[in-house]
Amino acid sequence: MAEPGLTAPILEVHDLHVTFTTEGGPVPAVDGIDFAVAPGETLAIVGESGSGKSVSSAAVMGLLPSNAQVTGEVLLDGRELNGLPGDELRKIRGNDIAMVFQDALSALNPYYTVGWQVAEAYRLHHDVSKKKAHERAIELLDKVGIPDASRRADSYPHEFSGGMRQRVVIAMALVNDPRVLIADEPTTALDVTVQAQIMRLLDDVQAEFGTALILISHDLGVVAEVADDVLVMYAGRAAERGTVRDIFFRAAHPYTLGLLGAMPRVDVPPKPRLTTIPGTPPTPGSITTGCPFQPRCAYTHRVGERCITERPELTPRPGQGDHEAACHLGRRPEVLL
Amino acid sequence: MTEELLNLKDVKKYFGLRGAPWRKAQSVRAVDGVNLVVRKGETVGLVGESGSGKSTLARVATRLLDPTQGRVEIGGTDVTKVRGRRLRPVRRRIQMVFQDPQASLNPRQSVGTILSTPYRAQGIRPTRTQLVDLLKQVGLAEQYLERYPHEFSGGQRQRIGIARALSVKPDLLVCDEPVSALDVSVQAQVLNLLADLRDELGLSYVLVAHDLAVVRQVADRIAVMYLGTIVEEGPAAQVYEAPAHPYTKALLSAVPVPEPGVDRDRIVLTGDVPTPIDPPSGCPFRTRCYKAQDVCATERPVLEPVQGSTEHSTEHSTGHRAACYFPEPPPS
Repeated sequence: MAEPGLTAPILEVHDLHVTFTTEGGPVPAVDGIDFAVAPGETLAIVGESGSGKSVSSAAVMGLLPSNAQVTGEVLLDGRELNGLPGDELRKIRGNDIAMVFQDALSALNPYYTVGWQVAEAYRLHHDVSKKKAHERAIELLDKVGIPDASRRADSYPHEFSGGMRQRVVIAMALVNDPRVLIADEPTTALDVTVQAQIMRLLDDVQAEFGTALILISHDLGVVAEVADDVLVMYAGRAAERGTVRDIFFRAAHPYTLGLLGAMPRVDVPPKPRLTTIPGTPPTPGSITTGCPFQPRCAYTHRVGERCITERPELTPRPGQGDHEAACHLGRRPEVLL
Repeated sequence: MTEELLNLKDVKKYFGLRGAPWRKAQSVRAVDGVNLVVRKGETVGLVGESGSGKSTLARVATRLLDPTQGRVEIGGTDVTKVRGRRLRPVRRRIQMVFQDPQASLNPRQSVGTILSTPYRAQGIRPTRTQLVDLLKQVGLAEQYLERYPHEFSGGQRQRIGIARALSVKPDLLVCDEPVSALDVSVQAQVLNLLADLRDELGLSYVLVAHDLAVVRQVADRIAVMYLGTIVEEGPAAQVYEAPAHPYTKALLSAVPVPEPGVDRDRIVLTGDVPTPIDPPSGCPFRTRCYKAQDVCATERPVLEPVQGSTEHSTEHSTGHRAACYFPEPPPS
């Protein structure tokens, strides 16, 4: 489809903040991030545990518990979602935006057949007969590669393997032709041969329906393979963002560079030692001034005090497009080592 | 020849399934006839997908599980039938590091108590200096001795698990998914620590992992498991660069590489691993294999030297071997 404006983002998030109220005081899990994804495109949000990547996506879906305060804009096709009343949001959730979770077993109800569950997701948003919905469910189960779908629709989740369950969850997410699909670590619980099947499936789905995909992952291998754009998160903030090539070939943030160096590779002879990032990721809210990565950063001495006193904002990097990094170091870090 | 630390001979481990009394008794063939030798100073990577039997094999090797059949030799001694108190000398030679440091450390014990447990099991009272040295060996400071597991991050807890295993000065560490619960940046720290300890202490490892990139980083030799059997074994470089078994080839091709635009020539396997309750006849991989022929269903192929392998095969071969009727030709 070559219509004008196809590359205009379908989902835009501006200055998103998520703060949890806890007994120990407010915990800022997401501290001002922006991202956007266009139809047919894949945005990967990467980061380690506690970086806020899952909380961000849950905030978009309005799935956070009541002790979470969400501020900022979440625009679906220009329409503000943040602050919508529950019944309005429910019309959008699972319909225009759908989500695939990491753990397919807990995303499915063990008491109902998978066919029933996929059909229910359809009937929530379409006024159709049970029979029609069941037919639609079988169509989707078939599409995601469940063999003998019309018979397997009557099976229960426990009768499926992990990979097949994840296919069911994807079928459920796709049953209403969503325009945005958020996949939170969709293959982390799966074996690598099954992961390859699921990633191929998501790719096919995107090609066929032009779905915008937000992939949340810690696996840089998966990201390199499927993403168009990448957002690297650290301690609730954006460390760097750019195209997949910007991030992997022209990493501008020391954290991104550290992550890439820490990944062992299967396709080349091993390095004598992996590059490591000293220390561990900070707990949310523990670093309030300066750069959150500063205590682990090998380049702080190149910059000095600013890293401790001044919070770096995303600033454009030389080159084409929108490659941005939040680092006081103006140059590409690896050049300096 | 270098000293054999561990020698598994035709090891089988079946788990009985309790079913209704009128049903035929069934069993899960978790490990179904494995031979494996680990020599001093080497790191053997045991890879495979879930249900391949790699963790069960690790537990049989450390004598945490009794094999259903076969022999376990540790340091040249047959320990298959050794039990209870008499296992203690065995445990001094071989120790285990577990996947989940959260679950394998007692939350009610301080680090000092955790680290001194293996000593006390051997009838030794460790001095504080010994415990502090252990901590330093894994890169932790003295003041951590009085702390409790919940005060540590995942990576630090895994270091404590490694320190505990090192306390009795073993020759061989069996590590079951030691880094799979850790973040990438922390995983690299622990992998480097394992490499440092090998160099400093002359340790040997059996590294059980599903992550093939992690295994490539540290292993000298690789054994690939599928449905309870080793389907390919050999020097790491040969197995990774010229896999002979179709399963190994498919498995390696499925691993995504952190470099955009790399063409991976992927073999996407269909279906899932069959159930180990009722494995396929003949070659266990034939139901998903892209090369399967009629002969594959007849008899299980045995490990045979791969064409072009640099070493000659004997019973105790460390050369490149694969169990396949139609192995991949060596790259030209």
